[in-house]
Amino acid sequence: MDNLVNEEEISEVAKLMKIDLKDHSDHIKRVQKMLEYFDILDSANVESEEITIQEIDLDKLRNDEHIPYNKNLLKFLKSYKEKYVKAPKLN
Amino acid sequence: MNCIKNNEFTVEEFIAESLEHINKVDEKLHAFLRINDLAIKKAKEIDAKIKSNQNVGRCYGMPISVKDNICMEGSKTTCASKVLENFIAPYTSTVISKLHSEDAIIIGKTNLDEFAMGLSTEFSAYGPSRNPWNNDCVPGGSSGGSGVSVAANECIASLGSDTGGSIRNPASFCSVVGLKPTYGLVSRYGLVSYANSIEQIGPMTKTVEDSAFLLNMISGIDPNDNTTIDNKNQDYLNNIDAGINGKKIGIVTEMTNSDGLSADVLDATNDSIKTFEKLGANCEQVSLQMVPYTVAAYYTITSTEAGSNLARYDNVRYGYELDSSGFEFNSYISQARSKLGPEVIRRMILGGFVPSAGHAGKYFLKALKVKSKLINEINYVFKKFDFLISPTVPIQPFKFGEKINDPVSFMMVDFNTVTANLTGIPAISVPYKITNGLPIGIQIMSNHLEEHSLLQAAYALEKTVDLPEVPA
Repeated sequence: MDNLVNEEEISEVAKLMKIDLKDHSDHIKRVQKMLEYFDILDSANVESEEITIQEIDLDKLRNDEHIPYNKNLLKFLKSYKEKYVKAPKLN
Repeated sequence: MNCIKNNEFTVEEFIAESLEHINKVDEKLHAFLRINDLAIKKAKEIDAKIKSNQNVGRCYGMPISVKDNICMEGSKTTCASKVLENFIAPYTSTVISKLHSEDAIIIGKTNLDEFAMGLSTEFSAYGPSRNPWNNDCVPGGSSGGSGVSVAANECIASLGSDTGGSIRNPASFCSVVGLKPTYGLVSRYGLVSYANSIEQIGPMTKTVEDSAFLLNMISGIDPNDNTTIDNKNQDYLNNIDAGINGKKIGIVTEMTNSDGLSADVLDATNDSIKTFEKLGANCEQVSLQMVPYTVAAYYTITSTEAGSNLARYDNVRYGYELDSSGFEFNSYISQARSKLGPEVIRRMILGGFVPSAGHAGKYFLKALKVKSKLINEINYVFKKFDFLISPTVPIQPFKFGEKINDPVSFMMVDFNTVTANLTGIPAISVPYKITNGLPIGIQIMSNHLEEHSLLQAAYALEKTVDLPEVPA
């Protein structure tokens, strides 16, 4: 395969996806194998093909209106004050 | 259900017996991640309705299992992931609401590959389910637990979800019927998203009639899912025995001569073609030139959507107890995500890679173009044919561990099923043969919203076979 994606590129993407590869080093080889297989798309001869986009009429979408929050949901939270959720404190 | 209607036994007795059977067999099969503690209470309520001559819903206390990526308020929905180990759904999915309103009893939540990414249940964080036909083999996936629960008589029916074959693959591997409806026919509200542009909820049942029965209840427009389509109150059971005399069937060439197709599966498929012809259908080969590229296109598109959909599992929006002291922002999220299983991690990495600047043209945009061209091909062939057929899966159930270390051969198991997802058409797997003690299913596909005739064709095929009972 002529377009082998290198380990550095995959590691960089994993970092951007906030995935720590320290415990997952074997993933890189597997991802590489999958990407190698995806090279088959090069021979599909679809360069001139238009991409179909699914259109939904605006009147089919939900109205853009405020929906009050469901107070019952708060009971699922570990930590909250009034209607504010306490998220983990991070540096 | 007729036995209950005829007062031969109560709903409570039937549910209690089902629970006892689950208790007996599920330690070995592991179809269920958990049982609904309220099942008996619900059964008593339905019995009370029957006793007091109140209207009872069409399900009449039918025990139905549901894949554990479909939400039911107040109960755990884990997606077979450690990240959602303690997640309690705050609302109920539309499909479960509809079944509740018809007096179905959700008897439990079934096992799956983590976040529905896989085809064997080997990627479940809680251990795999086992194929009731041979416990050393996988049951298929990702709705493997659902397939097992129906095949092993632990419930009457199940709801699965199908992103690239996740209903039809385990249906084929466990010898049950599995239907992936037209995209939009069934609401996805309350289904935990993996690749929302192509996935659908659908029934898995012992018979084609039962699938039609369930589809009657779960299909139709839902204001909470704006991709849903009006089913015009179709009764999918009506004239289900109409037969297929004179119908035109296309045998998809690329799915019946692929490298990975086993000789036994090919034999069964050729046999089914003769059966269709005996039923009066006209069968001929048809080529879909994009099929060889569909697996790559499917994994590119679904990984991209997974990368986006799973971004919410960051321990801020969804997550689990993890002390934040000593972490800065990114490292905390990375640490939280270390609980995601290996296949999910890989798909997220792929999902970040294939649509990224510099690579999108080679992967993601090309995959979308393959999808568009495939849709054109499908629209064209359905001008001539009523149905397309193929083996559901190119191989029979395989042994645990046999494919998990080779990602490409693993992906190729999806070869025949992803076309229906990429194009949005409905497809059904019908149990057709047991060879060497393991099931083989035949896939029938039809044009968009042609579920009625699709179920008629499936029913006609089903009535020609007499398969053995699943081993006890």
